[in-house]
Amino acid sequence: MSNLTLYSVSFDLVDAVLSAIGSVLPAPLNAWITNADLITGLAVLVFAALLLAASMLNTIMLIWWERKLLGRFMDRRGAMHVGYAGLLQNFADGFKLFRKTTVRPREADPLGFVSGPTAYMVTSMILFGVLPISSGWNSGALPLSLLLALAIFSFAPLFIFVSAWSSNNKYSLMGGMRSAAQMIAYEVPLLLAVVAVVIVSGSFDLTTIVYEQQNYWFWGPLFVALLVFVAGMLAEMERIPFDLPEAEAELVEGWNTEYGGMLFAFFMLADYLRALIGSILVVLLFLGGWTMPTWVPSVATSFPLAGIFWFMLKTYLVFAVFIWIRASLPRVRTDQLLRVGWNRMIPLSLLSVFLAAALVTVKCLPVFGCVPSPGI
Amino acid sequence: MAEVSEPEPRNENPVLWVARPMATAARQFAKSLFRPSTIVYPYERLEDPRFRDRLEVASGKPFGVGHVWDNYRGVHALNIATCISCNLCAFSCPDICIEMVTVPGGDPKHPKKCPEIDYGKCSYCGFCSDACPEGCLTMTTRYELSTPKRSDMVYSPQKLYDVFRSKLPMNPIRLARPENEDAILLDPPLCIGCNACARDCPTECITMLDVPKPEAKPGEKLPKRIWKEPVINDSDCVRCGTCISVCPKECLFWGTRK
Repeated sequence: MSNLTLYSVSFDLVDAVLSAIGSVLPAPLNAWITNADLITGLAVLVFAALLLAASMLNTIMLIWWERKLLGRFMDRRGAMHVGYAGLLQNFADGFKLFRKTTVRPREADPLGFVSGPTAYMVTSMILFGVLPISSGWNSGALPLSLLLALAIFSFAPLFIFVSAWSSNNKYSLMGGMRSAAQMIAYEVPLLLAVVAVVIVSGSFDLTTIVYEQQNYWFWGPLFVALLVFVAGMLAEMERIPFDLPEAEAELVEGWNTEYGGMLFAFFMLADYLRALIGSILVVLLFLGGWTMPTWVPSVATSFPLAGIFWFMLKTYLVFAVFIWIRASLPRVRTDQLLRVGWNRMIPLSLLSVFLAAALVTVKCLPVFGCVPSPGI
Repeated sequence: MAEVSEPEPRNENPVLWVARPMATAARQFAKSLFRPSTIVYPYERLEDPRFRDRLEVASGKPFGVGHVWDNYRGVHALNIATCISCNLCAFSCPDICIEMVTVPGGDPKHPKKCPEIDYGKCSYCGFCSDACPEGCLTMTTRYELSTPKRSDMVYSPQKLYDVFRSKLPMNPIRLARPENEDAILLDPPLCIGCNACARDCPTECITMLDVPKPEAKPGEKLPKRIWKEPVINDSDCVRCGTCISVCPKECLFWGTRK
């Protein structure tokens, strides 16, 4: 079971299907179909398709999770009618958006109007190729995968600004400006908080960072960094209380005011893709990824796909915390947001870097507790 | 005049600005995790027994007959068997939404007529069930009337009878008879003895009795009439008032018999 990876599954799948096809075909086609290069290429495609399908499914489930939890926070039930407990409601909404006409304003710039949301969503989806989900389930160990993930993650303000500007609407432009200012302001403390993790783990590779947490999860020793990272992630995901770019009370719908139909669905999906990625990054950097502490009985960690199960459970719980914050806090003002970003978050993140360096220097990490545990 | 804003109180710990609302939200979440306030209406109803405690809380009264739900004025229930076709419901209806239609069965000479209610016009005032002398037209707690067709809003007597047979809680206040039971009195000089009241009386409690034809005094012209007068049997009368409404000379009226 441990040798099973997403790539090996897709390779075996393509191999079996092509061999079956090749066995019924005549001689020259037979050899061409069962060619190793063709199988490898198709296996990569199937791998990518599976990854994409899984990420989109999880994104839509994340919307469901948010609707249900937010409902409970507000003493109601959320989506109830379509499917069991409203599980299929978001699929129905997606089909509705898919069927709708996308209306482009006459004065809008066609290129930016269409390419902005598309690039926003594509850059968010690329990240799933970088993030390791479980041991062996990522596409390959990249030595700088954390840096790559954060670099792709920080493309977003550019595309938001492009689509906002090309909408030719003052509310969209204001939202885009706010989005750019906010994301740049919170990019710095976010990266500095990550630096603390990198100092402790000694690697930029997400898989290595997770394996470094086999003995102790980083949220204990790096609690300040976790706080800064979560706050920065909230700002990057543009969720309440930092949802100024689409403050629906002041700017109609922010930078997606002019968007409808499938292009709006792109924005919506990309927002939740980024929320999923943010939760995954919190789990990978601070909550031990797919590993579990040793006091957990081995029954709970040895069943098939246990790593993915615990990983997704942690991800959804982290996102539940984001929903909890959304349900509790009001939206802040722009000047408050930027002041907190530059005046509070950056000193806090520098403090967390200092704390991490001190912890590594005096070698007191095991004080936090954590008993060695085998990886899953 | 420039507005002077008061400086924000700074003595509170900023951590509490985040922690306090989050604690409130968590408390709310814990409260509504297993039982949110929402009732999933098409699948659950407020009148289900398991929401009884909520109703008590909402009304401040104990849940029981006539307190919360039983005096609701919803769709009517008609007991065709006890209906005496007295027309009172149709007379009392302020929206003119009740029409008396013939129902099958009964004497072909005197066809039985029962109310047909158009719920597109009905205002659920309950006057009809107040007026009903036999208590056969009452109001139930049924409130679901949505239909795709406007003609479905017209409930025939048979449909109202189906509502009656569905044993919904009846409105006990509407079932009670009115307390001021007046008698129907006759203004004899106006009567022409036309028999209309006796003919239309649903309980056949009116008998036309002969009255002596007076001697014509010289110079006086006797009215052209049939020398009969209605006598109403109070024990059989249901005070439906049909006789009053059919009287062509308006010589019958409500009054208290001495």
